[in-house]
Amino acid sequence: MLSFLIGLPILSAVAIAVLPKPMNGDNGRAIALLTMLIALIWSVLLGFKFDVGLTTLQFEENLSWLERLGLNYRLGLDGLALPLVVLNSLLTWIAIYSTDPEVTRPRLYYILILLLNAGVVGAFLAHNLLLFFLFYELELIPLYFLIAIWGGARRGYAATKFLIYTALSGILILVGFLGLVFLSGANSFEYDVTLAQTLPVSAQLILLSILLVAFGIKIPLVPFHTWLPDAHVEASTPVSVLLAGVLLKLGTYGLLRFGLGLFPEAWAIAARYLATWAVVSVLYGAFTAIAQKDMKKMVAYSSIAHMGYILLAAAAATPLSTLGTVFQMVSHGLISALLFLLVGVVYRKTGTRDIDVLRGLLNPERGLPLIGSLMIVGVMASAGIPGMMGFISEFMVFCGSFSVFPVQTLLCMVGTGLTAVYLLLLVNRSFFGRLPEQFAELPLVEWRDRIPSLILTLLIILWGLQPGWLAHWSETTLTALLVGQGELATPALIAPIDASTRSPAAL
Amino acid sequence: MDQFLLQSCWWIPCYGLVGAVLTLPWSTGMVRRTGPRPAAYFNVLMTLVAFVHGMLAFQAVLGQEPKALILHWFKAADLDLSLALEISPVSLGAAQLVTGMSLLAQIFAIGYMEKDWALARFFALMGFFEAAMSGLALSDSLFLSYALLEMLTLSTYLLVGFWYAQPLVVTAARDAFLTKRVGDVLLLMGVVALANLAGSLNFPDLYEWSETAHLSPTVATLLGLALIAGPTGKCAQFPLHLWLDEAMEGPNPASILRNSVVVACGAYVLVKLQPILVLSPVASTVLVGLGTMTAIGASLVALAQIDIKRALAHSTSAYLGLVFIAVGTQWTNVAFYILFAHAIAKALLFMSTGAIIVTTSTQDITEMGGLWSRMPATTTAYLVGAAGLVGLLPLGGFWALREGINIYWYDSPWLVAILLLVNTLTAINLTRVFRLVFLGPPQMKTRRAPEVPWLMAVPLVSLSVTTLLVPLMLQQLYLLPDLDYINWVTVLLIALSGGIGCLIGANLRLSRVWVRPIQAPLKFVQDLLSYDFYVQRLYEVTVVWSVSTLSRLSAWFDRYVLDGFVNLVGFASILGGESLKYSISGQSQFYLLTILIGISVFGALLAFLTR
Repeated sequence: MLSFLIGLPILSAVAIAVLPKPMNGDNGRAIALLTMLIALIWSVLLGFKFDVGLTTLQFEENLSWLERLGLNYRLGLDGLALPLVVLNSLLTWIAIYSTDPEVTRPRLYYILILLLNAGVVGAFLAHNLLLFFLFYELELIPLYFLIAIWGGARRGYAATKFLIYTALSGILILVGFLGLVFLSGANSFEYDVTLAQTLPVSAQLILLSILLVAFGIKIPLVPFHTWLPDAHVEASTPVSVLLAGVLLKLGTYGLLRFGLGLFPEAWAIAARYLATWAVVSVLYGAFTAIAQKDMKKMVAYSSIAHMGYILLAAAAATPLSTLGTVFQMVSHGLISALLFLLVGVVYRKTGTRDIDVLRGLLNPERGLPLIGSLMIVGVMASAGIPGMMGFISEFMVFCGSFSVFPVQTLLCMVGTGLTAVYLLLLVNRSFFGRLPEQFAELPLVEWRDRIPSLILTLLIILWGLQPGWLAHWSETTLTALLVGQGELATPALIAPIDASTRSPAAL
Repeated sequence: MDQFLLQSCWWIPCYGLVGAVLTLPWSTGMVRRTGPRPAAYFNVLMTLVAFVHGMLAFQAVLGQEPKALILHWFKAADLDLSLALEISPVSLGAAQLVTGMSLLAQIFAIGYMEKDWALARFFALMGFFEAAMSGLALSDSLFLSYALLEMLTLSTYLLVGFWYAQPLVVTAARDAFLTKRVGDVLLLMGVVALANLAGSLNFPDLYEWSETAHLSPTVATLLGLALIAGPTGKCAQFPLHLWLDEAMEGPNPASILRNSVVVACGAYVLVKLQPILVLSPVASTVLVGLGTMTAIGASLVALAQIDIKRALAHSTSAYLGLVFIAVGTQWTNVAFYILFAHAIAKALLFMSTGAIIVTTSTQDITEMGGLWSRMPATTTAYLVGAAGLVGLLPLGGFWALREGINIYWYDSPWLVAILLLVNTLTAINLTRVFRLVFLGPPQMKTRRAPEVPWLMAVPLVSLSVTTLLVPLMLQQLYLLPDLDYINWVTVLLIALSGGIGCLIGANLRLSRVWVRPIQAPLKFVQDLLSYDFYVQRLYEVTVVWSVSTLSRLSAWFDRYVLDGFVNLVGFASILGGESLKYSISGQSQFYLLTILIGISVFGALLAFLTR
């Protein structure tokens, strides 16, 4: 069942590679689209067959591989991974659909995107630490080429920076995993086995901090974030969509699964500092975004700010806030993908992303009115206007974290105010006002440019109005994840005065 | 039948939303052949349905106990969000006011926006606007109210920014959104805190909780301040008041709603929050303080405006200041009186203004004059609206003020003085505007000024009649005092304050060319008032400056310090490799030597560390 999700993209990548020459770009595109459509349907079907009451892994697959190393091919699906798997299939389909059909070297391009998809799905499904590491590294290679070949002017610099950073993150993950297994004396890298370890807290703290840096690079958290704006600015639109929508989620997923899940005691000690770190990340990302002139850079910095909320919620580790992390991951995935898609259309039609140059694009006759309207929707969703997904996920994050870290939560809320500032500046400067003469002859926006954004907009509104449809997938798993967290999670009814006497640093 | 009408109350906000969705084919330009008119008709129809439904439900609920209607929306972990609606005469009456005003404003808009190409988009936004407001009126849950306030923020942004090609509109829309957003985010902090403290966000549960809650004074104060921040932004109170003035760049039919019912929605939420605000004495004091400052300040500022819409908009802030005072002193019934009377009278004033603007194509009152004989219906509407607002004749505003003065008479006489002062200043302002616009010789732009077409005249006249009937409505709802209980001194005081205001306004020396007075102090005062006490300037050098400086600072830090360090590491390693490659000489002795030195250093280090 689950191997199909990994195997299908790899198989069609091989098919695109070996099919005879007359196969031009269009065929590659069609194959890739069809593959991802099947994968999407498959993952949604899995979602329907998924038993939401169970806390154990579902659709499990276990093949022994390198028994000696403790490396087994063990896959499983639970409520934490399921929404991300569906999101991954959806966004990959959208990325392929929004690719320019005249893309250069089409065969290589589609092969790489399919491999990227396979790597990410594998990482989400893997329940063996080494297997996770393998998929985590596998995903890196296609993305490096996607940025380095189809990127903008400084693509070499950006791609290398991305590669070095993420490779470093991979190595640190490996160090953390190896350390965990050696110190605990286990003979296997199975997730369940490592879960049962009882290491001293000091050892846990050291391993946790290694993993924090590793996943902090991927998420990214300030100060490990500088690869992200460069990578986004240089990457082409579909790659940006995947990068922001799915790949960053590997970091937060890893943090929850391997940080919170494996080292609960150490996590409880570190939580206070993690929450403060989240505040720094949120405010730093938001303030830096205000000063940006390049639309893509602005959205990239806003990603940094929004991923900070996930760290806050993970640090608080209450049932509500952990559910909030999943919501925030999905909502950020959809919203940032939407924003990047729209910025991509603007860039393709006008040739610039500079908000000091763009003006009046909402113009109904010669501008991009529908793209502009969708942009307003995306911006509002990102700023957390109710009725859309951004609001309910932020609300869950804040409500869940407030009882544990009142001050940090309030400071993070300032971040949502700042989100409104920079995104509104973006819309106001580039879409409002009078359309200048230089943009009077914009190329026509075709439906092909609009459909992906429309799909994302609908989903953002749908889940914003019916968040319960997403919540029931993840709730049981996440509550089970927190079993070791009893001492940290204070009941929601206890007043913040109480919290302050318990942890002086919190108030 | 009654039961069905009441149980289906939640449809009332949905009608507006459906209307908004129905306009999509026209507003996105998919249907072009028919022109945008059908979209407008759909919306008016839906609003009419909402109005009729509301009216029937209101008849049914009169004399009944308030009931709650709870729709479970989202339940996850320990968070249970339900959309609770209150079915009571007050909430249905408020919804009725909203849909009624919306209906009139929309009919007015068909005439006003006749030639606008984006008519469909305008009506979509109006439908959305109405849905959010009538939802607010019915809402019985702080969560739902918060969500709808945010919707209002969004739709205000879109409506103010309707003519987005004009530079002033762009800044106005931006300021409207950001100012309200500041209030909303603070309110969200309060909501999140309350959700954790009280465990539920439905108003009845919150009231119950607040009776027994023990909070430390700091927490209570912070909570109270956070909760009043949202309404402060919505009701355009100091320090979040500038947006309303700027928002007058938007289309007039939206201004009608904004100045009457939208600000009232903010105040309505405040009234709903009042039992919780009691927890914090500081919050109540702050409410009275903000209300007083805004009431007097905005009344004065209004006197110096030459834009007809802005002159009236500032007086909206002033009246909402009175509402804030009323809530701060725990007299919510006074708040309701003022809100009701003000909403109807101010809407009428703005409708009349809209008629003037569409005929003369200007908003500058110094360019107008002599309209009274040319536009009789509009003139009547203005006069009726002004009379309904000012306490002089026994219309809505008069009774609202009487109620307030009656209550404050013994407890806090200084509030009586404020009410009377605001009344006088408003009377001066309205008389001044009336003289400039309607009296005097006609000017260039008012020479050929026919009365407005029927689509605008019908709402104008019907609202005039409604304004005149307000005392009758109050009578019907048993809200007017018996003649025997009336304190004639207060009545006299109100009439006197209004009359003095009118007299001063009538005798004020007004110059149409608007040459500044020569005396320096007067000029200073005039500038101070017309530039809104330079508050905007103050914000520019404080809030805006600090945010932009901080953002530039962090961007600089990011680019040069953090990224600079990263690049330095990269550069250093490349440089290291580049320079070390010259050591590749091909002589094995050299390699051996290097290895030897390396191993010895490493060994020494290990020996040192493991000592």
